[in-house]
Amino acid sequence: MIAKTRCIPDGKKELKKLPTEHYTEAKYLYYPVTSARCPEGETCVRGGQFVKIGEVIGTRKGAFFEQPMHATVSGEVLGNEKHIDQSGKMVDCLIVKNDFKYELHESIQDRTDAEIDALTKDDFVEIVKEAGLVGLGGSAFPSYIKLSTKDQIDVVLANGVECEPNLISDYGLMMTNPRAVIEGLIFAMKASGAKKGVIAIKKKYKEIHERLEFCLHEFSQYDIKVQSVGNFYPQGWELMTIKNALGIKIPQGELLSKYGVLNFNVSTLASIYAAVRHRLPVLERYISLSGNGIHNKNFRARIGTLMTELIASAGGYKEPEKPKVLILGGPMMGVNVTSDDIVMTHTTTSLIVQNDETLIEEPCVHCASCVYSCPVEIQPVQIMNAYKVRDKDMLKKLEVNKCIECGLCSFVCPSKIHLTEHMRKAKSFASK
Amino acid sequence: MMQAVKQTSPYIRKDVSTKRMMTDVLIALMPVVIFSIYRFGWDAVVRILVSLVVMIGLEAIAFGMMQKPKKADKWFERLKSRYEKYTINNITAPAVSAVIFAMIIPSKLPIYAVIMGAAFGILVAKMLFGGLGSNIFNIAAAGRIFIGLALTDMFTGKYVGVDMIAGGTALTAIRTGAGFPYTLNSYPLLDMFLGNIPGSMGEISALAILLGMVYLLIRRSADFRVIVSSLVTFVVLMLIAGFKLYPDQAFSYMLFHVLSGGILFGVVFMITDPVTSPVTKPGRWIYGLLVASLVVIIRLFGAYPEGVAFALLFSNMFVPLIDYPQWATNKFKPGFFIGYGVAFVALALIVYFGVGGAV
Repeated sequence: MIAKTRCIPDGKKELKKLPTEHYTEAKYLYYPVTSARCPEGETCVRGGQFVKIGEVIGTRKGAFFEQPMHATVSGEVLGNEKHIDQSGKMVDCLIVKNDFKYELHESIQDRTDAEIDALTKDDFVEIVKEAGLVGLGGSAFPSYIKLSTKDQIDVVLANGVECEPNLISDYGLMMTNPRAVIEGLIFAMKASGAKKGVIAIKKKYKEIHERLEFCLHEFSQYDIKVQSVGNFYPQGWELMTIKNALGIKIPQGELLSKYGVLNFNVSTLASIYAAVRHRLPVLERYISLSGNGIHNKNFRARIGTLMTELIASAGGYKEPEKPKVLILGGPMMGVNVTSDDIVMTHTTTSLIVQNDETLIEEPCVHCASCVYSCPVEIQPVQIMNAYKVRDKDMLKKLEVNKCIECGLCSFVCPSKIHLTEHMRKAKSFASK
Repeated sequence: MMQAVKQTSPYIRKDVSTKRMMTDVLIALMPVVIFSIYRFGWDAVVRILVSLVVMIGLEAIAFGMMQKPKKADKWFERLKSRYEKYTINNITAPAVSAVIFAMIIPSKLPIYAVIMGAAFGILVAKMLFGGLGSNIFNIAAAGRIFIGLALTDMFTGKYVGVDMIAGGTALTAIRTGAGFPYTLNSYPLLDMFLGNIPGSMGEISALAILLGMVYLLIRRSADFRVIVSSLVTFVVLMLIAGFKLYPDQAFSYMLFHVLSGGILFGVVFMITDPVTSPVTKPGRWIYGLLVASLVVIIRLFGAYPEGVAFALLFSNMFVPLIDYPQWATNKFKPGFFIGYGVAFVALALIVYFGVGGAV
């Protein structure tokens, strides 16, 4: 108890056993015009217009980049409606009525090997940009910006750790389509000029290790290896993955590319593969419904599908009379939403529904479990105390900005003190 | 319609609780308690119970007085509203302090002295500072020192019966009696290990204490760092002193000191109290070094035969200093190793040149 906690129960075993349903029954699909990273956006289709899969239907505009939106079904554009996106905020969404024909747009044509071999670095970046690819691990950071770095890149890391409990999206992808991950990694290596590729996965995923190794036989001309890292949380945090998979220690706040490293989530790499090989944007993602307040099920569903449909298809909530906590993402760092009117976006991989349990906060007994467990080696309890007296200088001295909000301090606290929330408040207070 | 609640991440918690931590300490204390009852019979039972009643009762009263009552017509409801936040930890925590306090007093100590010590510990050392988690000083040690200073006669004045003397009677013998090698005749090391010697109720049986320590460490309810740091410091410094004073029997001199007095009990149950410990790993190593070296210095050079409680209270005052964010960090930096090493060597030199009066 008074010790460093790194292993947390992950509940993945039960989820993996559940079948994965390919959900294609969505009648209407919704495409957010804005997102957390892109506060503005515009559509380039009119109501009544017929669109096909992969067709550009609008653009989201961020501070320093633009991102095209693509239709993921074929059908008729209907209009706009407001729904909740991955960030938990209400956003304006474009509606497309599914005609269930799943017709591909004319631009969606496979590239031949010869065409791919002829692609230059700039071509790769351009393809990734056009496909609107973003970090699918949850950051939603535009991938082309990472790829277009001027720094010399030695190694591209494929991050398949997925250390959060209850998430099996990357696992499902690597299990069913390891080839896409590997080819995507190769394209990312070509795009960045890196000689080496490393795929980091959890040690306990022996089956994935075997699959990837087997698949790698076809690509023996490339220097790619599969590296097992510990089954810890937060092993998937990029700096920790890089440290344990590559042995490169990068200080917080530095650009990875300065150290010759690029880090991509395996799903992002698979999307790069689809964009380069098939000229396809991201159409589908694995999503799992889990938690004790809902009938658990895994889906492969189109981007734009409404969560309410998936919930109904899975069998709905359990014990609907009990108050529930809805979480998008993992139980450690996920986003809390107060309505299930959620539209699936690129980074939506999990909905957790828990029955609400009231926790009683006890006084801190200075057991220091939070200090011992903190992956960035700051002192949550001291930060909490400094924040309570609003001591800004002390907060800076305690390096509160290093906090990655992984949630471990709250998780381990025997007094059930919500330290992570104090960290968040302290961070925003210190930076004011 | 389903009702959705607002929360912030993380949404899951580890299956641990402060209650479990307190209960673990109580369980770990069981061998010591059972041994004291076996050794001292009703004397022990009565003192433990008195201490429990006083500490738990006074904490409950003080707790109620510290809360703001809600406005209500009936006095009973106003009283009840004061206890809305009263939890199981307001019973287990004082229970731990009470049992520890009972274990560091002599079995024949008058009941009113027990009540005074327990009351001082819980009221002045704990509740006045804000209750659970806010106390700076170890509660049991504060209570023990209070009656030790206020009622000195009861501890050192009357040598009526062997059992009346506390604070390590074997230690008293080494100073006022026959002197070291001969004390081993009346207090063989095996008897000291098993607890077949006079002394404070819980401090005499090293075996029972070690059983509790093993349990605490397995359950991770105590930090091994303070235990290792303080024991190593104590053992090494006492070996040096023994080497200087009795070159032939340095080892048994060290063992004699480890097994006598309250050092083992203090190391396992008192300095591991997380509330009064620093919150970083290096800090806990420093804390252990500080407590153990103070005990050594008090035993070798001080006016008192024994000083675990004194050393503990003194070190408690340094905890905010050790934890001061300007330098406190959970990383083991070179500065820590240098500082720890230099302090250790300096202490070793002080002990080596200080003992025996010879320079």
